[in-house]
Amino acid sequence: MKKIEKHQQRHGLFRWIALALLVLTGLAAFFIPPVQPAIEAASAEVAGPLFSLPIIGNFYLTNSLIGILLVDLIIVGLVLAVRKTLKGSSIPSKSIGGVIIAILEVLFDLTEKAAGKWAKKVFPWFATITLTVLVANLLDLMPGIEGIGLLVPSASGYVIKTLIPGVLSTITRQTDGAQLYSLVTFVRSPSTDLNFTLALGLIAVISIQVMGLRYQGFTYLKRFFNVSTLFSKPGLGVMDFMVSVLELISEFAKIISFTFRLFGSIFAGMVLLALSGTLIPVIGQSGVMLFELFMGLIQAVVFGLLTMVFMSQAIRGEEQDETPKDERPIPLVEGLESFWRYKRK
Amino acid sequence: MTGDIVEAARLIGAGIAMIGALGGGIGVGLSIQGAMQGMARNPDAYNNLFVNMLLGVAFSEAIAIYCLVIAFVILFVA
Repeated sequence: MKKIEKHQQRHGLFRWIALALLVLTGLAAFFIPPVQPAIEAASAEVAGPLFSLPIIGNFYLTNSLIGILLVDLIIVGLVLAVRKTLKGSSIPSKSIGGVIIAILEVLFDLTEKAAGKWAKKVFPWFATITLTVLVANLLDLMPGIEGIGLLVPSASGYVIKTLIPGVLSTITRQTDGAQLYSLVTFVRSPSTDLNFTLALGLIAVISIQVMGLRYQGFTYLKRFFNVSTLFSKPGLGVMDFMVSVLELISEFAKIISFTFRLFGSIFAGMVLLALSGTLIPVIGQSGVMLFELFMGLIQAVVFGLLTMVFMSQAIRGEEQDETPKDERPIPLVEGLESFWRYKRK
Repeated sequence: MTGDIVEAARLIGAGIAMIGALGGGIGVGLSIQGAMQGMARNPDAYNNLFVNMLLGVAFSEAIAIYCLVIAFVILFVA
């Protein structure tokens, strides 16, 4: 009885907090009207050159580099939470470690369906890519990520208004002044930087080829240069060879499609968030944020799922053996336990 | 009426580039339609159909996203 009252009370408190935040947002939007941020496709340099290499050139500390460091820190924190949860005796379903275990369990289930008995080889790639991309996509939605940064002088920008001298300033809506400034944010979601998505796409495609070569040996190369029927059956053999060359081209198309799918959808989300925040700052942006939450999750799962499916195709090759499937549903922690047990061997 | 004709051409070009998203939309609709009909006829196949539907949606959506990237390149780069 007492518990139910406490439960209701807590919900009442949350409701008032939400209302207070809404009123605060309205007041902030009234006194400091939000301006449309400068949208750039490339990430900007926050600090000067860190070091320089002879041929490649200078390395700058860009804001998406800070973003990926933040993503790594968050993932290390999640790993520590899962470790703490697995050490406990019972199944704590409410902790964040329990949530991550549940997500990994769903991913492992998907992997078992596609890869069969090689699921344990493919699963680490799938889970790593999905978790990294998921955290990187959702970094976009955290408050302060897209709004706090350095004000740099630029040709087209806004007049600044000083709130605390030397520490804190804000940009106003006026565009006619002696010195115009624009904002360079400290942190930028790595998924909106083409370098991150291209690197991830290259890692995915190269690891697919490596797994294929490792488990099929040189017969894997038959997929790209199919000369086995070229001389025995001249007519159809030439066609087989052409098909295998097309397969080789589609491997390069995979890199491009991995890269631009993630970059395009998350960058479009960033632009949509910025524009809706300028036009309807108080309530309207919340709906867009909900949509972006969904979109970030879908894109992360799709990136990992495509890697997993291509990788299991590369490992299996042309043989279509139906491994006996275990129809029994795996309990929440037991499947992950088997994964850890496999890793320790 | 003042303005830069190159700027106007850029805006029009970005709009025209997005016409290609039509094909992506049709593809996504068709694949979801097929998966939904399969799920309605055979609810046991839900999991298998759902994963394959997501894959198909991702492939056809990629075409629309290429158009979006080209529109962004026209708008924000150079």
